[in-house]
Amino acid sequence: MPIAEEALAQFPNLPDTSPAGASLDWGWLAGHRSEWGIQPKPGPRGLTMMDIAVGTYGDVPEHPRHRAMAARGADIAEDTPDMGYILNSKTDVWSSNVSELYEEAVARQWSATRDIPWNQLEELPSDLEHAMCQLCTTLSEIEMIASDLPAKWMWRMNHEFIEAKMFLCTQIMDEARHSEVFRKRALANGGGLLKSRGATENLLRTIIEAKTYTQATALLHLLGEGFILDLFRQGEAIAPTEVEKRIFRMTMQDEARHVAYGTMHIRHAVDNDPDVADEIHEALDHGEGALVALGSAPDMSTAIAVLLAGGAENVEEIGFPLQQRLARNQFTSYLARCERAGVSRLDRTTLPLEAMGIDLEQIRKGASFS
Amino acid sequence: MRIDSISFFDHLATLMNSDPNTYELLGDIDLDMAIVMRRPDEDDFRVQLEFSGIECKTVAEIDEGAETATECWIDGSLEDWQGMFDDIAANGQATGEWTLNTITIMGDKIQLKAGDPMGWDKFHRFNQTLQDFVDAAAPALNKEASNVGS
Repeated sequence: MPIAEEALAQFPNLPDTSPAGASLDWGWLAGHRSEWGIQPKPGPRGLTMMDIAVGTYGDVPEHPRHRAMAARGADIAEDTPDMGYILNSKTDVWSSNVSELYEEAVARQWSATRDIPWNQLEELPSDLEHAMCQLCTTLSEIEMIASDLPAKWMWRMNHEFIEAKMFLCTQIMDEARHSEVFRKRALANGGGLLKSRGATENLLRTIIEAKTYTQATALLHLLGEGFILDLFRQGEAIAPTEVEKRIFRMTMQDEARHVAYGTMHIRHAVDNDPDVADEIHEALDHGEGALVALGSAPDMSTAIAVLLAGGAENVEEIGFPLQQRLARNQFTSYLARCERAGVSRLDRTTLPLEAMGIDLEQIRKGASFS
Repeated sequence: MRIDSISFFDHLATLMNSDPNTYELLGDIDLDMAIVMRRPDEDDFRVQLEFSGIECKTVAEIDEGAETATECWIDGSLEDWQGMFDDIAANGQATGEWTLNTITIMGDKIQLKAGDPMGWDKFHRFNQTLQDFVDAAAPALNKEASNVGS
């Protein structure tokens, strides 16, 4: 291949063949079609993805021309192969906060090995240890769905949406760590892993088998992770020692990021294509039923009730009433996020909202209260 | 040191800003929030806290209602806030029902509020940092108690 004329003019001594006799192409030396030398400046915390989203490098196309793994903003040769992406519209995967969430995720990574004060674990009464182990067994099981699901879809996402894919990579790492930390807690205090049953797996199967990514993310991020976020909040509240409190606080932080992506992704999708709302509602109609089944699944619900009561003895007087109250919080949060995402469920859901004591007016106003 | 005072929160901000090792490990926080302490005489105390990176950049007393312009705010009686800081002083960190998450999830003492669910969720995204921020009050509260006692 001949040396590009522009390069030859600037670097006249370049060879046109390698020492082995292969022809060389120095075209990349000729510069770039767009903004060579744009030089984004680092801010106080370093060089962020927001800092480098400058000029055309920050333009995320609504419908990319290519289906290649090439870096967005590079000169992409016409013969670059099609990678088979099927999510080729920005509305398929994007959220307005995705770059910030990626940076936040990277900055707030933690280690289940190092950052939990494992040596402060205390011997617990048998009922509490069993309850904590059961909760951790279920959580260790369900957390990996939020790794498997994005992994199932990421390789189908157009590479021009790199920030969304990068964020989902952090989510996959987060959820691996959650499965790790709950597995470790189940084993670390003299207990072990307890029961796994069908109701849990049914919800996971509903999520993983969603027909589209938008349906999948509605089920996972908006419904499932929103529910788990509130469950982690409860977990911190009922934690018997500082070890569990720390576990639930750290996992809560990660989960809230995932929910923030999902909420704003759905919002972006619905704003740009209102017809998508029907698809999401259809998924949530089914998902809410599966979620209620999970929430009332015998193992996890009774384990939480025992932890809320501080032991098996007070489960009826304290555990169950408190559990109902916290369930009201969970569904209030979920419905408020649906409003924010632009898929109001208030007139569509079959959840018994009034019986649960949910304040619909508060949700309609968009306000959130504990 | 009165907890319903700007000087108290200035002190907490100074502690955070001078402890990059702790907060770097927890990661950046970007949050504009407020704390409301309701006094018995209804002359309530409101403080805005702006966090950016690993620092608390702003501590400012705000007027009634101005908390609704922040991303989220935590609202409770001065007595309950004092209960929380007493627990922090006694244990070196909030314990049991007195952690920020626990006290707000129960909601019968101090409430977490937000005009937007995204702001409400931010409280959870940065929860450990916020917990460390208030837990850092322990030495100063204990020193003061010790001075009063001596």
